[in-house]
Amino acid sequence: MYPDKTTAAGLVDAAHLAEVQGRSLWKDARQRFMRNKAAVAGLVALVLITLFAFFGGFLAQWSTEEIDWPLMGNVAQAGGPSIANGHYFGVDELGRDLYARTVQGTRISLLVGFVGAAIAVIVGTLYGAIAGYFGGRTDGVMMRIVDILMAIPFMFVLILMLVIFGRSILMLFIGIGLISWLDMSRIARGQTLTLKNKEFVEAAIAIGVRPMTIILRHIVPNLLGLVIVYATLLVPTMIITESFISFLGLGVQEPATSLGALISAGAGQMQYGVIWQLAFPLFFFIVTLFAFFFVGDGLRDALDPKDR
Amino acid sequence: MFNFVLKRLAIAIPTILILIVLSFMLMFAAPGGPFNSERPLPPQVLANLEARYGLDQPYWKQMSDYVVNVVTRFDFGPSFQYRDRTVTDVIMQGFPVTLTYGFWSFVVAVIVGVSLGVVAAIKHNTWLDYVAVGISVGAQVLPNFVMAPILVLVFTLWLGWLPGGGWQGGQWQYLILPVIALSTSYMASIARITRSSMLEVLNAGFIRTARAKGLPTWRIILGHALKPAMLPVLSYLGPAFVLMITGSVVIDVYFSTGGIGQFFVNSAFSRDYAVIMGITILVGVLTILFNLVVDVLYAWIDPKIRY
Repeated sequence: MYPDKTTAAGLVDAAHLAEVQGRSLWKDARQRFMRNKAAVAGLVALVLITLFAFFGGFLAQWSTEEIDWPLMGNVAQAGGPSIANGHYFGVDELGRDLYARTVQGTRISLLVGFVGAAIAVIVGTLYGAIAGYFGGRTDGVMMRIVDILMAIPFMFVLILMLVIFGRSILMLFIGIGLISWLDMSRIARGQTLTLKNKEFVEAAIAIGVRPMTIILRHIVPNLLGLVIVYATLLVPTMIITESFISFLGLGVQEPATSLGALISAGAGQMQYGVIWQLAFPLFFFIVTLFAFFFVGDGLRDALDPKDR
Repeated sequence: MFNFVLKRLAIAIPTILILIVLSFMLMFAAPGGPFNSERPLPPQVLANLEARYGLDQPYWKQMSDYVVNVVTRFDFGPSFQYRDRTVTDVIMQGFPVTLTYGFWSFVVAVIVGVSLGVVAAIKHNTWLDYVAVGISVGAQVLPNFVMAPILVLVFTLWLGWLPGGGWQGGQWQYLILPVIALSTSYMASIARITRSSMLEVLNAGFIRTARAKGLPTWRIILGHALKPAMLPVLSYLGPAFVLMITGSVVIDVYFSTGGIGQFFVNSAFSRDYAVIMGITILVGVLTILFNLVVDVLYAWIDPKIRY
């Protein structure tokens, strides 16, 4: 039954056996995630939406900026969704193809979501890990700064920044990223506080590894599970923030567009009976958010050891 | 308790000052001054204007003047866009409107949210629970700027029951749609938080004791379970307040209710920095004070907190 470890062949057998039985944390997590039907459905939806956002443009018969002149004065009657004239989702109030614009808007919203979340995660994790690891007065000062920043209404400051430094996607990225690292840093700090008393950190200290190296090599990788969960839940928040600002007309500038800007335009036009201008962007917005929330919840169940 | 409040104030006051200084620095960094127009003013006129508004003073003097004026007299200076009015006038015009529907949204969100959460927890794993959870998950992806057009589409354009905008001194017909649009997502969050904390409380030993001595369910819920279950909800009210104030910008823009949000966005488009800063600072101060109140309430209700 058990391999005889005194012979060479037996040792190889034992090694194989150990290999087969090994169940890593990640494999475990993947299995738990796969059992969660809503999360898997969310993941599939997310992949489809990403494909749509990045490759959907190849199916479009019109570009995002082309104006279909014959339809322009007649959008309410003739501008609806139709396969025949190539406007799958209809046209917007200026006679531009809504399909191409929805593809573009989804792409920009996803990009803002991912980049914003990435900035938040990188800054927040490092900040929290450093504060938690060094502890003492450093920790006190760093977390007090977070407390103070948290009390500031950042949506207003962000709009103030967009007005002062000009509206651009880059500014939006920076502004949104700046808002959102605060929560992340608190979470990372809390987890670091428990991690830094573990034996492997003690061992690293004992052999004289420098503090920053310990943080990057030993603390941060162990925060990864938590970070991934919160990052997935951050992306939809970022998308909502961006859409909020674009809805007010202060975000992405024409001719570029985002889901929020499209929803805003559609909402402004709907009294003329052009309901598709609201419906299609809204559909993609809601499905994207739902998908992210479900995937996030699934990942939390799979990776967060607290909730098991 | 007194010391606790003092300690909280000791954090709140510097935060307010930092906010004011930060906004001032942002505004100062902005390109162009308030009197740069298409047609350049004669240098002498410009100099007089700048002297009148103190813009010829050095940086530190301007900053300290601004901070002192704001702190001591709530004076945010003159508005650049509405030349005959000060920022304080503009805020005073919009603020009562925002306060009115903000207050009602808050009341609706808390009452409906808490009831929904409590019902879901009591009827755990029944269809009532699933309906409540479904509503709160659905409302999560319907932020106010999505809710507002949908409500107008259904209740104004299709059914024709309610006006799709305007204020008219706050008559109830004009209040309903803004209040629903603003409160939905917070109501959902409150319901979710109430449900999970209520479930936890209902499993606690003292609830079992209350059941064992034969108390009717409604007395157990109202007399014993509700207070401890409200603690997480209470701590959510701080962030909810911020989100609600932020959301009021969308409400004002979409429903043309004329609150401070409308002035905020108009000023953002016309680069009226003074008004934007004034509103940002006002909202910041309100947020900080509100968080302070929530913290104190929390410490007062929760016996576990020592201060």
